Amino acid sequence: MELIVATVTNFLILSSMYILVALGFAFLFNMLRILNLAHGAIYMVGGYIGLAFIMILGFNQWIALLLTTLIIAAFGIFLEKFSFRPFVGDFNRIVMVCVAIAVVLQTAVNIIAGSKTLALPPFVEGVFRAGTFSVSYERMVTFAVGAALLGLAIWFVNRTRWGQQMQAIAQDIEGAYLQGINVRRISALASFIGCGLAAVAGCLMGAYLRLGPYMGDLMLIKALILVILAGVGSVSGILVTGLVLGALDAALPVLVPGAGSDAITVGIVVVLLLIRPQGFFGYEIEM
Amino acid sequence: MDMSDKQLSDMTPSKTATVQEKWIKLAITAGVVVLIALLPLLLTSPYMLHIFILTFIYTIAAVSLRTILTSGQFPLGHGAFMGIGAYSSAMIAKWLGWSPWLTIPVAALVTMGIGMLIGYPFARLRTLYYAMGSLFFGMGIIYIFYAGGSLTGGYSGLTGIPPLLPIGTSKVPYYYLFLGLALVSLLALYRFEFSRIGINLKAIAQSHLVASSVGINEGWYRILAVGVGCFFVGLAGAGYAHYTTVLSGNNFSFMATLWLVMYVLIGGKDSFAGPIIGTFILVLIPEFFRDLKIYTPFISAAILLIVVFIMPQGLVSLPKLVRSWFTEHRKGRRITHAS
Repeated sequence: MELIVATVTNFLILSSMYILVALGFAFLFNMLRILNLAHGAIYMVGGYIGLAFIMILGFNQWIALLLTTLIIAAFGIFLEKFSFRPFVGDFNRIVMVCVAIAVVLQTAVNIIAGSKTLALPPFVEGVFRAGTFSVSYERMVTFAVGAALLGLAIWFVNRTRWGQQMQAIAQDIEGAYLQGINVRRISALASFIGCGLAAVAGCLMGAYLRLGPYMGDLMLIKALILVILAGVGSVSGILVTGLVLGALDAALPVLVPGAGSDAITVGIVVVLLLIRPQGFFGYEIEM
Repeated sequence: MDMSDKQLSDMTPSKTATVQEKWIKLAITAGVVVLIALLPLLLTSPYMLHIFILTFIYTIAAVSLRTILTSGQFPLGHGAFMGIGAYSSAMIAKWLGWSPWLTIPVAALVTMGIGMLIGYPFARLRTLYYAMGSLFFGMGIIYIFYAGGSLTGGYSGLTGIPPLLPIGTSKVPYYYLFLGLALVSLLALYRFEFSRIGINLKAIAQSHLVASSVGINEGWYRILAVGVGCFFVGLAGAGYAHYTTVLSGNNFSFMATLWLVMYVLIGGKDSFAGPIIGTFILVLIPEFFRDLKIYTPFISAAILLIVVFIMPQGLVSLPKLVRSWFTEHRKGRRITHAS
């Protein structure tokens, strides 16, 4: 019973965090085909900036979370303007720029904070008990924040003017230009939201697990798995693939110890990709 | 894909000029090889020799990655294939007691076999989807190394691999050994690229539809390119295993693959010399700043950013770029004189 409750909470938290990071990645990827390999590093830096606000400046956790999100989101606008926009459509140079950014961010964090693992203090103390099973409030809050942000992001993409403009750009960028959509502003906005979501996930995961300068690499690969399996242009597809991957990552370690569970997960992903290369919900693109 | 009219007009200058250019290129190559071969006479520090040996190994890996790139695929799992070569050679030598001289070619063949087996289902993935598929496959390989228990050493890595030369040998024999291995591999890959098969691969990269319409079997050639690339990366990995005698899955992770890709892209993926120049620049220049210790990754990042913003075609385009700056300058002056 204990194990089942732990697995289920793990599943919900991992899924929501994966989906948050992958959604942020997908915003830029769907619109401008930018394969932002620095997204994992941005997620990692989000966690460390949150830690700095709480530990060094002594801010309240929630204010720190908000400020971190705003800072990283602003950094996203900067990134979009100076390092992504000049190379849109040039896959090789985008990859090089993103690797350079990721290296700079990881090295900077490594110098400032050291390679030892740190952790954010929990956002909420206490444990929720009901009968035989118990869940810490921390986990419930992490999941609640993640789920709320997801709902907000999906509402934004589907129901607001800007979100619909994003979808228009993702479908046909030239058509979007002809309709008078300000593609530059919308892509800056996409980068703003994408990096902000990554920062929130970084702070929440920093409190739930631990922080390390290289924790972003793994998250980046999870985000890539989610986005590619969902297919280009699909937001709701990311929800489904996120839940599937979260379930695999939460349940398999219980059954298979060590790295074997990760190998099985990745094996399943490769097989799924071979079955449907263009993704299960989106459409195929040529790059 | 990249062959615009401009490039085609570049390719048809007068015949004497091309012959002359060919001899100049050959002379430069021979000069560089002789210089590198004489280097151990000047460099006595074992550490610098060690760095050069690693550079030779990574040069083979980077050039073999470019071989797959010429077929229009973008492999992001090449580091993991280096790992397959390294681990298979190390495991055969350690657990079966074979001589490293025998296990290295066997490991290269094993890597080639696995690469071609995987290349068969992967041949239906193109561009981005191939890149992602190979990335995930590479991750799976690394996890298998981690999960292998005592057979692969698990997370702590495989130690006690039999060295290629008797223990206590200085770095100089290793230097010439790996220089020779690199030269032979590069020559083979050069011959491969400009053979009929290599030209077919370039045709597939430009347009797979046109290529298949003139009777090129696209899937088979893609598998062949992956096989050849994997053979040489397996060779490099196996050499690496018996040179360092210690292996860890981390050496072949996604970041390692990305650095291999960086070596190719920074040098210029359209030229055979590109990955060689890129590897030497990205491995050796940060070594000159070794005193900065933890700050050295910044140097690599700076090189990447300089190349991205100034040299879109990679470092090999630098002479052409400089020449065009000068000629444009002169032209501008002539125009002002005329007016």
